[in-house]
Amino acid sequence: MNQKLQTVLLLILLPFFAFAQSVITGTVLESNGLPALGATVSVKGTSNGTSTDFDGKYTLNNVPSDAVIVFSFIGYTTQEIPLNGQTSINITLAEDPSELDTIVLIGYGSTKKANVTAAQTTVKAEEFNKGAITSPGQLISGKVAGVQVTAASGRPGDGPVIRVRPGSTLGGNQDALYVVDGVPLDQRNASLNTINPADIESFTILKDASATAIYGNRASNGVVLITTKKAKLNSDLKIGYDVQFAVNQVQDYAHVLNADEFRQLVADQGRDPAVLGDANTDWQNEIYQNGTRAIHNLTVEKGYETTSIRASLGYTNENGTLLRSGYERATLGLNVRQNFLKGDLKLNFTSQLAQEELRRADEGAVGAAVVFDPTQSIFNNTGEFGGFFEYTNSTGPEGNAPRNPLGLLNSLDSQLDNKQARLNLNAAYNIRQVPGLKFTGNAGIDYNEFDEYTIRDFNSGAGARGNNRSFGEGFRRNQLLDGRFEYKRTLESLDTDMDFTLGGSFQDFTRQSTSRSSVNNELQENPIAIDDSALVTAFARASFDIKDLVVISGSASRNGSSRFSEENRWANFYGASAALKLTNTDFVQNSGFLSQLKIRGGFGQTGQQDIDASFAYLSVFTPGQPQAAVQFGDQFVTTIRPEGSIDLKWETTDQWNAGIDIGFFDDRITGSVDGFYRETKDLLLFGPLPAGGLENGSFQNAGSTLSRGIETSISGKIIQTENMNWTLSANATVQEIEITDLAGADNAPVPVGGISGGTGNTIQEWAVGSDPTSFHVFRQVYDQDGNPLDGVYVDTNGDNIINDADRVRYKKANHDVYFGLTSNFNYKNLDFSFTFRGAAGGYNYNNVDSNSASYGSIFPTNTQTPIYVNSTVDILNTNFSQQRLQSDYYIQKADFIKLDNVSLGYNFPGDKVDIRASITGTNLLTITDYDGTDPEVFGGIDNNLFPRNRGLIFGLGFKF
Amino acid sequence: MKMYKSIIFLFLGMLVFTACEDALTVEPRDNRVTEAELFQDPATYRGIIAKAYAGLALGGQEGGDGNADISGIDGGFSNYLRLYWNMQELTTDEAIIAWNDGTIKDLHGHVWTDGNEFINAMFSRVNYQIAVCNEFLSLSTDAKLDEYNIPADVRADVANYRAEARFLRAYSYYHGMDLFGKMPFTDENSDPAVLPLAKSRTELFEFIESELLAIEDDMVEARMNEYGRADKGALWMLLSKIYMNAEVYTGTPRYTDAITQLNKVISAGYNVPNVPYAYSFQADNNRNGAEDGFIWTINFDGLNTQTFGGTTYLTHAPVGGNMDPSVFGINGGWGGIRTTEQFVELFPGEENSADTRETFFTDEQTKEINDVGQFKDGFAIQKFKNVNVDGSAGSDTVGDFVDIDFPIFRISDAYLMYAEAVVRGGSGGDLTTAQGYLNQIRERAYGNTSGNITVGQIDLDYLLDERARELHWEAHRRQDLVRFGQFTTSKVWAWKGNVRNGTTTPAFRNILPIPAQELNLNPNLQPQNTGY
Repeated sequence: MNQKLQTVLLLILLPFFAFAQSVITGTVLESNGLPALGATVSVKGTSNGTSTDFDGKYTLNNVPSDAVIVFSFIGYTTQEIPLNGQTSINITLAEDPSELDTIVLIGYGSTKKANVTAAQTTVKAEEFNKGAITSPGQLISGKVAGVQVTAASGRPGDGPVIRVRPGSTLGGNQDALYVVDGVPLDQRNASLNTINPADIESFTILKDASATAIYGNRASNGVVLITTKKAKLNSDLKIGYDVQFAVNQVQDYAHVLNADEFRQLVADQGRDPAVLGDANTDWQNEIYQNGTRAIHNLTVEKGYETTSIRASLGYTNENGTLLRSGYERATLGLNVRQNFLKGDLKLNFTSQLAQEELRRADEGAVGAAVVFDPTQSIFNNTGEFGGFFEYTNSTGPEGNAPRNPLGLLNSLDSQLDNKQARLNLNAAYNIRQVPGLKFTGNAGIDYNEFDEYTIRDFNSGAGARGNNRSFGEGFRRNQLLDGRFEYKRTLESLDTDMDFTLGGSFQDFTRQSTSRSSVNNELQENPIAIDDSALVTAFARASFDIKDLVVISGSASRNGSSRFSEENRWANFYGASAALKLTNTDFVQNSGFLSQLKIRGGFGQTGQQDIDASFAYLSVFTPGQPQAAVQFGDQFVTTIRPEGSIDLKWETTDQWNAGIDIGFFDDRITGSVDGFYRETKDLLLFGPLPAGGLENGSFQNAGSTLSRGIETSISGKIIQTENMNWTLSANATVQEIEITDLAGADNAPVPVGGISGGTGNTIQEWAVGSDPTSFHVFRQVYDQDGNPLDGVYVDTNGDNIINDADRVRYKKANHDVYFGLTSNFNYKNLDFSFTFRGAAGGYNYNNVDSNSASYGSIFPTNTQTPIYVNSTVDILNTNFSQQRLQSDYYIQKADFIKLDNVSLGYNFPGDKVDIRASITGTNLLTITDYDGTDPEVFGGIDNNLFPRNRGLIFGLGFKF
Repeated sequence: MKMYKSIIFLFLGMLVFTACEDALTVEPRDNRVTEAELFQDPATYRGIIAKAYAGLALGGQEGGDGNADISGIDGGFSNYLRLYWNMQELTTDEAIIAWNDGTIKDLHGHVWTDGNEFINAMFSRVNYQIAVCNEFLSLSTDAKLDEYNIPADVRADVANYRAEARFLRAYSYYHGMDLFGKMPFTDENSDPAVLPLAKSRTELFEFIESELLAIEDDMVEARMNEYGRADKGALWMLLSKIYMNAEVYTGTPRYTDAITQLNKVISAGYNVPNVPYAYSFQADNNRNGAEDGFIWTINFDGLNTQTFGGTTYLTHAPVGGNMDPSVFGINGGWGGIRTTEQFVELFPGEENSADTRETFFTDEQTKEINDVGQFKDGFAIQKFKNVNVDGSAGSDTVGDFVDIDFPIFRISDAYLMYAEAVVRGGSGGDLTTAQGYLNQIRERAYGNTSGNITVGQIDLDYLLDERARELHWEAHRRQDLVRFGQFTTSKVWAWKGNVRNGTTTPAFRNILPIPAQELNLNPNLQPQNTGY
């Protein structure tokens, strides 16, 4: 029998051979005097151990008289007490002063912060951005290295775009996987808005693949674990009420010609002034208003001996800055925890209910206000088109003219109602028969039902032609069932803590919608849309903490996706990582300045299957709609289209990560540096297929990307006294991504990035060796004075012909560097904080300028009666005769620094009520050279985005 | 006890996992159906052959080209006829477009590259159409008909459909041969897992010819099929077309064969209709008398066959400037397509010509084109009108989609080809007969005999110009210019070669490039056509 096997056998059999000597009993209390539930009591050097029950009581059998009893409890200092003949030991544990023992979440479990081996960051409620925040993502904007939060637009109810490291996939979903209290959300329906931001306890962002591999099937873009607030056991009744009121203003308007400037331009160009109107209308000023937002939150919580309850009621009401836009939301959060079997069985029920009402304004007004002739008046005198001035031709509204922006806004009635319920029952069961073994299960459902309509007034410029109603409704459902066994045990002989997890998860997703819209002026039922998919995962992890010095962790998952055929359905993903806890070495302990030092490294593999095609591998037939019929004789025959099929497989990402965590001067200064290197292959992307089949393009596994980056963060407690604290935290990320392979022998580039102006124009290109957001443009030629020459481009290939072969890749939208700076200061009851956020190295394509600023656009020749169209002031710089859509002139530097958030608060402590008053400013300052209204444009194509707001928020909070 | 529990847990775990295997087998529950479900209804075959016809008329499965058949381009742009028209017309003196849609201006400028998305989309469309026809043929074999218990009456229809599917496939291969020279070749027996091999222009010619000859007997008699479906008349016309251009395609002239086929067409009972020329391009052209001259049409309908391509495009895109959209039965022009001064000059008297086929709109339009992007530069053409002969507008009250059917083949074309084949030395016809045919066309154009021509006037120059006058904007021009050797190295027109007065362009542009994207994906198509 070989040595290894012997050891294993010994380990298994050890408990049975330990022989009886005596029984000891006792009670373990937490530092606050409450019973410690689940503390481990064991005989040192043996596997003999037990855990305490709900009353903190334990019974340990077979204890030799000379034994040393070890009491350990997560978050508390481990104590060893020699038995010395006692039969009863009662003990009160002391809290571990080191925050390294703080428990942090990891995928399917939790661990001590000191034992984290991967790149992950936790942001707690007290570090969140302040203000009247609607969408949870905004809470962590600018706070975490390696996480880019692109601020939400000014559209009421809009959430920010969050990216954990650069998106590795090109055609799949780039959103991180959100796991709310253990329930992974549907990645294509991750409506975080239905979680009341005030209910969130913390975000934990798992950035590297060694941490996320256990979620294998959806973790390529990182995992964000969201924990909601819960009441503590045995706690007093607490009631809190917060109210916030915000006033929002559009940050900036597009810089267009005003009426006088426009008249001048018309005169300078020798055009007929009779086409002009005689008003002075600032259309942008007309379509926006001061927005308001009110948020109320009421929280009640209470803990009993075996039960705790927390309920919260939230209400948000917003009137957007764009006329007729608005958002209203009510949320009801409930968390009930109930312990059974003396704490061996813990049930945790969480429910988040939300009802949302989104009033949708016609956002076409944003662009229309940029280009509508400022000399025209808002109203006509005829009452036609609801009284709004419109351009017409002999048959009605002129199709080639812009519509009156106010006419657009006032003629549209459109609303989306959404009801969401997210319910989860979590059960944790300590299997007493096997000390250290625990089962945790989740049964969850995330369900929402929506209902929407859009009705356009017939008596309007946009509605006069008819076909102006649509109605729709549907639901989305995501059901989860998962379970895992965790087994923790300490091998005293090897001074090693072991932690094993084995589990499985099943999740299915259904989305269904029906709709009706007017076709030929009658309401017609559209084909029902149903999408089903399912994911199955089995996962395992083993972690070893050896001599409190080395942590090694490995995980594996086996994943099945219904999106693939049976042959390609399953994939295995692995992760491995290690950390060296140098904090515990003499070198650090004796250094005098170092207080913490850890080196981490890991590798992991993850998969991606979330594409917008659930049955690509099946051959199916699609019936045509009645409006797409073919006339045979007198009969209109509805067509049946045979569809092609393609056998897809998992997209996989390999990621390496190395990091260091360091603390100085008793952790007054702490910091982390992480580097990552990531390769994604078999990219799932939509691309062309060779001719010969029934599809000329489809999702396919084609291409690969490489991304790498360095993330740093540093935090300093600059002042730390009883009355005054000041913490300054900064983070910076440097990262890049490039495409390393595409479909086909020549890796033919793929045009992407549609723009306005013409139909089907693109401005970006995927090409091997380039960033996927690289622009693909003509090189503009300039005169001696630096002015662009109209329509003159560089003949880059020297063939004496200027055509699309002369377009080159130039700059990119992705930034190279992202950074954030947060300051938190408090003096007695006063607190003051601010957050700066910025990025550098990226460029925008200014589509507002390129689309409007040319004489061809200003003086169109395709309307029955002449009209003029306004332009941005850039026309005065370029004097372009026609749109020069693909000139690199419009690629403009988009570096920025924004003062996202400044907040001042004061607490008035009272006998019965604590009151807090605060004032917060959001998006107060933008420092940039960019010419457009806002440099921060996700994807880099700046085209009349719903302008962001600048806000002032007053808050009052009461705690009873 | 402990043991029991462990076993139970293990067992439960396995159970969950076995169940999960099944849970991963999900099938579509929306309106998409599998083959087995589909052929429960024998009418399915009519629906699929309808798709093969729809491939020429519509962009996708929803009105207005939604749920498009091909990707890589806007659904409306992806319409077969619209793309084909752009290839055959925008590249010539007959049409020029103002828009900034991608590389569309490169077509008229003769500076297109193998990255041109319109050329790319045309290539995709042609091949998609071939794939749909192949699919129909493999779904309608005797074995399949037996498998799905298709009744005898349906089988008789399916036999006709099969001939038409082969005809439609040959028709698209003909476009591929004409535009791209070589093509990836597939038929109903091709293995989808194997990249198609290329057929050269000559091989394509041989395939098309042999297919058409093989199905001639299976096609419905000329003028006996349902309106809109192809019949023997269409087949003879297509044979005539490949024979007329055989010298371009294969280097071997086949004018005698052309005359043989044209004689069959001409004797089948079609007439130059006894209604004004303009009627042929109006909303009710399927019933206003003009249909007598149609051999095969692509049908459109404002309510039931809605597309932003086809005749909707040909009606809206040429309306702009001061033109009154109500005259065209539409809600507004798209201000895009005009013509060059060289085309204007083909009509004696130009915009004041006695020839009723001259339909120029000149109010505030200049004859010369200084700025391609300005609609008012260049005369507009008022050929396609979505109004019925009684003056009422077409069926779509919104004014977007038109009812005008597009004549692919008309009898006038057959007459003109006949004359040309005779002039080019084909036997089986004579100039006097040709003169009679040509004067039928002229008499309708002039309303009397004042425009009639003599036998002596019939030469190649006359025929090329007369083809332009009679058939302009009907997607023949590029092919005609190539056949007459005037597309590239001789003859210039405004903005040819991307310069104001036009310049000759290299001969390699007589065929289009194989899209770079296609060469990348299918190395069998290498090398690229010369010059690109």
